[in-house]
Amino acid sequence: MKIVPDRNSLQSKLMYWLVISLTITSLSLGFSLFYTMKLQRVGELRFEREQYLNDLQTLLDDLQPPLENYMGTRSSSSLGKLLYLEETIRETLPENRYIPESRTGLLLREIYFLIDGYLNEVNLIIEEKRGRKVQAYTLRYEQLSQMYSYISRRVDAASLSGFRSQLEEYRHFMELFGKMQTYSLLLILLAVIFSFSFLLQTMNSLSHPLQSLSAMAEKISTGNFEINDISVNSVTEVNRVALAFNNMKNSIHHYIEEMKKKTEMEQQIMNERLRNMKMEQILKRMELYTMQAQMNPHFLFNTINTGVQLAIVEEAEKTADFMENLAALFRYNIRESKFFIPLRHEYDGLISYFEILKIRFPKTLNPEIKVPEELLDKFECPAMILQPLAENSVLHAFKTKEGIGKITVEIKSLPPFLELSVTDNGTGISEDIISQLLVPHTHEYQLSSKVMGLENVIQRLYFFYPEQKDVITINSRKGEGTEIIIRINTEAEPCIGL
Amino acid sequence: MKQNLVKIFLRVLPVLFGVFFLLLIILSVNLMMTSPFSSEEDTGGESLKKYHYAFYLPSTKSAFFSELEKGALDASEALNCAITFHSSDEGTEDLQMSPWSGVNGLAVYLHERDNSIARIFNSITDAGIPIVQIENSIDLNDKTFFIGTNGFEVGKAIGNLIERSPRAGNDVVLVYSQKNPGFMADSNLIEMGLKSADEDRHLNIRTAYTTLNSLDAEKITYDLLNREKQPGFIVLTDPRDTLVTIQTIVDLNLVGTVQIIGFGQDESITEYIEKGILLGSIVRNPYRIGYNAVLALKEISESGYTSAFVDTGINVLASPHLKGDT
Repeated sequence: MKIVPDRNSLQSKLMYWLVISLTITSLSLGFSLFYTMKLQRVGELRFEREQYLNDLQTLLDDLQPPLENYMGTRSSSSLGKLLYLEETIRETLPENRYIPESRTGLLLREIYFLIDGYLNEVNLIIEEKRGRKVQAYTLRYEQLSQMYSYISRRVDAASLSGFRSQLEEYRHFMELFGKMQTYSLLLILLAVIFSFSFLLQTMNSLSHPLQSLSAMAEKISTGNFEINDISVNSVTEVNRVALAFNNMKNSIHHYIEEMKKKTEMEQQIMNERLRNMKMEQILKRMELYTMQAQMNPHFLFNTINTGVQLAIVEEAEKTADFMENLAALFRYNIRESKFFIPLRHEYDGLISYFEILKIRFPKTLNPEIKVPEELLDKFECPAMILQPLAENSVLHAFKTKEGIGKITVEIKSLPPFLELSVTDNGTGISEDIISQLLVPHTHEYQLSSKVMGLENVIQRLYFFYPEQKDVITINSRKGEGTEIIIRINTEAEPCIGL
Repeated sequence: MKQNLVKIFLRVLPVLFGVFFLLLIILSVNLMMTSPFSSEEDTGGESLKKYHYAFYLPSTKSAFFSELEKGALDASEALNCAITFHSSDEGTEDLQMSPWSGVNGLAVYLHERDNSIARIFNSITDAGIPIVQIENSIDLNDKTFFIGTNGFEVGKAIGNLIERSPRAGNDVVLVYSQKNPGFMADSNLIEMGLKSADEDRHLNIRTAYTTLNSLDAEKITYDLLNREKQPGFIVLTDPRDTLVTIQTIVDLNLVGTVQIIGFGQDESITEYIEKGILLGSIVRNPYRIGYNAVLALKEISESGYTSAFVDTGINVLASPHLKGDT
């Protein structure tokens, strides 16, 4: 995969500018060094010229003794030395005889030509000496001496002129050198400032976005997510961090908003549930009141029927007893508006009812109560549960059965339970009906005015003890009778609070 | 706002200093390249020339030679030649050595005929070095050339001025000067020219000489005027001598009595001519002489020949009070 370098990245930028800064610094230092060396070299060359002239003059001076010696003695060693020096001088002379503009340059050029001419004359005089042309070499020797003197003077003049011009040149040279040093210093200074300014720019391009990010993070930490997205124009890395930071801020903001909405919705649901529960409890209470209220019309109706029948059959004492017990029962019913009442109250109500039954059915019905006295004041029980059960047996158990009907109500303490049972020896209840009866009704269940007293008691017991499925059991055999057992857990709190 | 300004400033800063840096680099390189030390070769940073000519002139510091040198230098600049000036007063050794000096030509101003000069000229021309004689043709042969003013023409111009003078008289004093030695060498030609212009005056020509002393002319003038017979016309051949002589004439209250013919074109001389104090002035053109000398030498160097005689001409400044026109 081809990797494309990111020019805007911090790494690339640092690399580019490092290279540029180093190049500029190297350039300025190199420039300074180059021209300092060059100027030094030029200065050296200027003095080399003077040295060169001096060397030339020395060589010419050295040439004179062997020339004189050879002309006097024709010594071969002198000739050899002479020729050697002549060759040396020729090699020393510059080949390039350009024509300069300056007087000193022209004077030097003249000296070179004069020395050339002098050496040519030396060669001629050697030839003339060999050819023994006495007159010719005598004249030439005189001319050579004159040339030698003239060249020496010209060399002196050139040295003097060179020295004078070099004094002026040296002043210019030092001025130029000073300027170049100043420029070099400025160049180095500019290179340093350039690098420093770039460093500042880079630092600023990094620090400014980071400061903005820091300030933004501080605002976010206080829960302020409404701030605008940060916009930075920096290196790629910082741009990416800023972009990621914006995305993170927006994501958190979005998440928090969602959480708020969810919480609000859950709160609404909770409120709704609470409201529903309250509504349900109210409905149950209404239902309870309704069921409890249903007892009275039944009882009153039956009692009144009994009173009517009794009035038809006979009057006097029995009617008085009957009415007394009826009054006691009414009193009980009116008085017991609570859901739970002392067991004694329920017992008293049942006694009154049984007395009425004994008046109504003196030969066909034998009601009996078996209750230990000590239990009556010890426990409480739901109101109006025993009388409806006994009434249910009176109404349904003996319709088709002949003989004396027996109804026995028994209360026993079977810790932690208080067991109340109503037993008859009637026709019994079918399994289907028992199953139908022992189903707890929801509040949606429509209570009918025809609800029987048994059903009313069962539903109230289920209401008070919803967790206890065996709060009431019905044992029945066809033709043998029915036993309804109520088991109240005396340690459990009945569900009566609304 | 402040942050933005800082940002802009920091962005501009490297660019600004980068530009400064480049400008300074360019400035430094330019300074170095244009300096005489840019080359390690000892050419002194100067341009190289094609030919080298040597001028042998009197060491006299006069306007004539200054102008001549200026003309020669301007010509050398224009024609890409190098010029060296040597004194022609201090013996002949320089000239003697010139065949070996590597020059491409000589321009020589001499004012004395000398046998040794002819021999030296021969040795120089034998070495293939051309010689141009300036102003004075001391030894004019087929190997040397002449550039300058024709002495005969100068004399003729002086004669014409005298002829046109309203003053009568025929006594003329020609004052030669070492300050302008060319006329001394050409005295015969000048006098011949002067006589050729004489129609009916029958001029009586005398000569006098001044030295390099700038006040020498005053003494000469006094001497001339104190003689029993004062000259009618005094002819000067040097500008300084002219000014000194006029001042003497004015001091002696002899303006108009003695007519002066001067030399040169100085501002004072021109003014005197306009006022009628000076009869006229002969003006040579030393600048043109110097320029043409170089031009001729270059022609010889490149083509091998030039005109053997180049007359650079004269100008005559005449007083407005003169008679008629020649």
